[in-house]
Amino acid sequence: MVYNMQSKFSDIELIQQTLGGNQSAYADLIKRHQRFVFTLALRFTKNREDAEEVAQDCFVKAYRSLSSFQQQSKFSTWLYSIVYTTAMTFLRKKRIDTSSIDDDETYLQLENKPGSFDENNVENKSRSYYLNQAIGQLLPDDAAIITMFYKGEQSLEEIAQVMGIEANTVKVKLFRARQRLKEKLERNLRHEVKELI
Amino acid sequence: MNTIEEKLWNYIDGTCPPEEQLAIEQLIATDDVYRKKYDELLRLNSELDMAEMDEPSMGFTYNVMQAIRAEHSLQPLKSRIDGRVIWGIAAFFIITISALLVYAFSTVNWSAGNTVNIPVKVDATKLTGIFSGPVGKGFLFFDVVMGLFLLDHYLRRLNLTKQQ
Repeated sequence: MVYNMQSKFSDIELIQQTLGGNQSAYADLIKRHQRFVFTLALRFTKNREDAEEVAQDCFVKAYRSLSSFQQQSKFSTWLYSIVYTTAMTFLRKKRIDTSSIDDDETYLQLENKPGSFDENNVENKSRSYYLNQAIGQLLPDDAAIITMFYKGEQSLEEIAQVMGIEANTVKVKLFRARQRLKEKLERNLRHEVKELI
Repeated sequence: MNTIEEKLWNYIDGTCPPEEQLAIEQLIATDDVYRKKYDELLRLNSELDMAEMDEPSMGFTYNVMQAIRAEHSLQPLKSRIDGRVIWGIAAFFIITISALLVYAFSTVNWSAGNTVNIPVKVDATKLTGIFSGPVGKGFLFFDVVMGLFLLDHYLRRLNLTKQQ
């Protein structure tokens, strides 16, 4: 059961209240999951404006089909599968290649990052900045798997359910995604060091 | 054959069997290559664990709720009315019409040969009484509501066609 500061109720209790006509319960549910849903959407869209649109669309879709949520999985798993499908549809519309092939193509940098990260001074950049930058350069599928595994508290089986693939395939994909992330992180750091010299 | 890195990730994630877990633990303790790689991967793992998530705009929740409210208000009346109410009204009319038909047929004198003898004598003065009474008013009110409903339905469709 997921609890947080915003509401003392669990996800399931909030869903039941929403289905009973209490719309503010759904607002609590949004507040609870919006950061992750937005982050996951951003991994696909690579653009804050589009990510916000996708995330908003996901919550509206989830509201519409809330009564069909069977409670056989966690609400977050069900919600992330909506995010995954919506984001993939968005990418297909935008004609971005989402296949997990290992290429050197650098993806668009994240836009509108917080001000402190816009500084060019390497001392002001934390390693977490470089990590986020490297995640942003990954292919959407890789970035999504890493995000779901580390920030979405999803097991390999749950990620498999979200993506509609086998858990073993997720394991392999996660391994490859972390390898690519490590390579990109090292490359970005080397590049910064070269610039300093 | 698993690479060192693959084995170590399985060890960190806890996805390998206990005996393999023990074997890797020993390799980390005794083999320099394993230990170095393990430290490197463990660092990346904890950084990924601690990585900050992105924050949507301040009005995100409000915008979603507004979108939901807007969608709700655009819903056609048909989908907002409980289906049981519609079925109830339909059942009322079907039963009333059926009862009237049964009554009419039961009062027909079937032995009168080819000519149909309808025994019901309609008294026009009684009819005006019915239509000015509460039943008539209710019937007219229902007609007005149905008329408004159909007009709303027609205007919505017209609006939708214009938007398309």
